[in-house]
Amino acid sequence: MAKGLDIGTMNIICSEREEEDVVFTQQRNAFLELDSSDLTETMLDSAKVLYIERDERIYVLGEDAFKFATIFGKDARRPMRYGIISPKEKDAIPMIKLIVERVLGEPGYRNEVLCISSPGEPIDLDMNPLYHKKMMEALARRMAYETHVIDEGLGVIYSELSDYNFTGLGISMGAGLTNVTLAYLATPVMSFSIGRGGDWIDEQVSITTGLPKEHVCATKEKGFKLGLEVEYGSADGALSIYYDALMTYVIKNLNRKLAEVTPPKVEFPVALAGGSTLPDGFLKMFERKLREAELQIDISKIRLAKEPLYSVARGCLIAARTHEGEEIGSGGETEEGAG
Amino acid sequence: MDNTSSPGILQRGALIYYVGSVTFAAGIALLAVGTAFITISRIHYGSEPEKIILSVISTGVGTTLILTGINMMMKQTRYGYYIVGASAFISLLALLIFTSNYPHNWFYPLISYVLTLYIAGFLALLGNAFANVILWMIEGKPEAVVGREREIKIYTDEEIERDIEEATRKSIELSASELKFKEPGVEEVKLGKTFRETRGNITKVKDDIGEAKSLRKTINPGERMKSGSVEVESVSRNLGEILRKGAVQKGRFGKIKEEIKDEMKKFYSSIRVTRNR
Ligand SMILES: Nc1ncnc2c1ncn2[C@@H]1O[C@H](COP(=O)(O)OP(=O)(O)OP(=O)(O)O)[C@@H](O)[C@H]1O
Ligand SMILES: [Mg+2]
Repeated sequence: MAKGLDIGTMNIICSEREEEDVVFTQQRNAFLELDSSDLTETMLDSAKVLYIERDERIYVLGEDAFKFATIFGKDARRPMRYGIISPKEKDAIPMIKLIVERVLGEPGYRNEVLCISSPGEPIDLDMNPLYHKKMMEALARRMAYETHVIDEGLGVIYSELSDYNFTGLGISMGAGLTNVTLAYLATPVMSFSIGRGGDWIDEQVSITTGLPKEHVCATKEKGFKLGLEVEYGSADGALSIYYDALMTYVIKNLNRKLAEVTPPKVEFPVALAGGSTLPDGFLKMFERKLREAELQIDISKIRLAKEPLYSVARGCLIAARTHEGEEIGSGGETEEGAG
Repeated sequence: MDNTSSPGILQRGALIYYVGSVTFAAGIALLAVGTAFITISRIHYGSEPEKIILSVISTGVGTTLILTGINMMMKQTRYGYYIVGASAFISLLALLIFTSNYPHNWFYPLISYVLTLYIAGFLALLGNAFANVILWMIEGKPEAVVGREREIKIYTDEEIERDIEEATRKSIELSASELKFKEPGVEEVKLGKTFRETRGNITKVKDDIGEAKSLRKTINPGERMKSGSVEVESVSRNLGEILRKGAVQKGRFGKIKEEIKDEMKKFYSSIRVTRNR
């Protein structure tokens, strides 16, 4: 039945079709290492915690890693940074493998089509997503999925811009990166990533206010309002300022990259997705800044994804189903309703 | 001849095509003149040696030129041009030997040697052309140049560089796609009891993702069909669609241009297939 998988710095999300619904399965991309003496297995088992044991140590995976981190006063570790497997985290690969296997689940049948998102070529970081991409592809293939990979920004376009014939600008502001793709009739014209996102905001605000990052992140996610009026010294104020800085940075880089290509002279709609677009007032602020920026391309409508957190995963599912349809035959209508 | 790789080769491709057609035309003319000469001067066994030599030379050279010209106009296999050159040379050599030995030394066994030489060259040229036609039919993409070369333009260094970069990137990606990673050290891992029970937070959204269908349509507008005129129709429909959509776009920009060029290629090739049938 085809699946989509968005492997993000913060969230790993699987999307699949189930009767009339699309089901998203989400897990935090994090783990926490504990001494076996800290906790007993029975405690963990009864609380239905996702954990593994290795060399006398317990690793709590996913969502629970954060909960236990607060309880034990430790930091949850993250296998990924800036959208790819973190080179600094030695346990990254086994952990991410376990989480992905869990979220993705077994394929319904051999060679079920799966589409994974991957970050675009970064323009301001010295890193290369190819290794990460290949690792994830190999991992899924090993599980007997037939795997395809698309850029995260293209996923947003697939998910949000079908009314515009998949022409437009897709922007995904996640935790580690901001991914941007410009597509014309479903074909990417330009695709890249920028090394700033939600994590960058957390870090900057934490530095300026002296509050711990986790605290800043929690405040941010609890629903603050982005606005121009800010209070001195408040976390909200600092958040607004850094959101503003992030947007300016993204738009500036977007314009710089646009100068390198010659896009068709049409109006491009813009779709925004990713967890960092969730705050109230984000769309309004971004739209104002984008219109002021006088981009090299004409912008028509600017819209927020219906489900910003799931947009990329949904786009991957669309891509996977398209591939699947191609294999079944050009009949197109045949794959519906198999359950 | 690898087309599209560099301006030099492209120009050579076009040049050899034109030289080939001139050779071909010259051959036809020579053959016609020779035949006319044979008829007009009523050549027979006892005719004057000069007349016989002249008629043999004109028809013989004419035939060789025609075949060589045809071969030059075709896309050749790796050693094609060497084969063509050698065969033409053999045929002409046979004619030369004939000229210098007729009529005084024109006896057995020289006659059979010369005749064999000429026929060998003739058959090699014919065979090479035939092999190319067969190859071309099997490949299903006619590379015989008719009209194509003219449409290919000279690429700028920038475009070539970008193409090379793109190609290298693709080959790197492909090379790694068969890569298998060894299982990282998880063998001695013990999974928690409920590990297999939880997959994660589940969110259900009512959604029929109809986008998959529109995406399929956008990616391949018009279904692909097998052969003949139907294909021409579908390809031209695609082309029309792309051109219509592409008309809004001014300058050159990679993908769309490639797409249009591709469709053009398909368009021309399918026309030729139909015409040749
Ligand atoms: N309600 C919210 N308000 C503001 N920010 C939020 C909210 N919810 C989540 N975020 C932020 O969104 C980010 C996670 O978004 P998302 O899941 O799209 O990223 P990701 O796909 O994991 O990362 P990336 O695409 O960069 O690899 C985090 O930085 C998180 O703090
Ligand atoms: Mg993401």
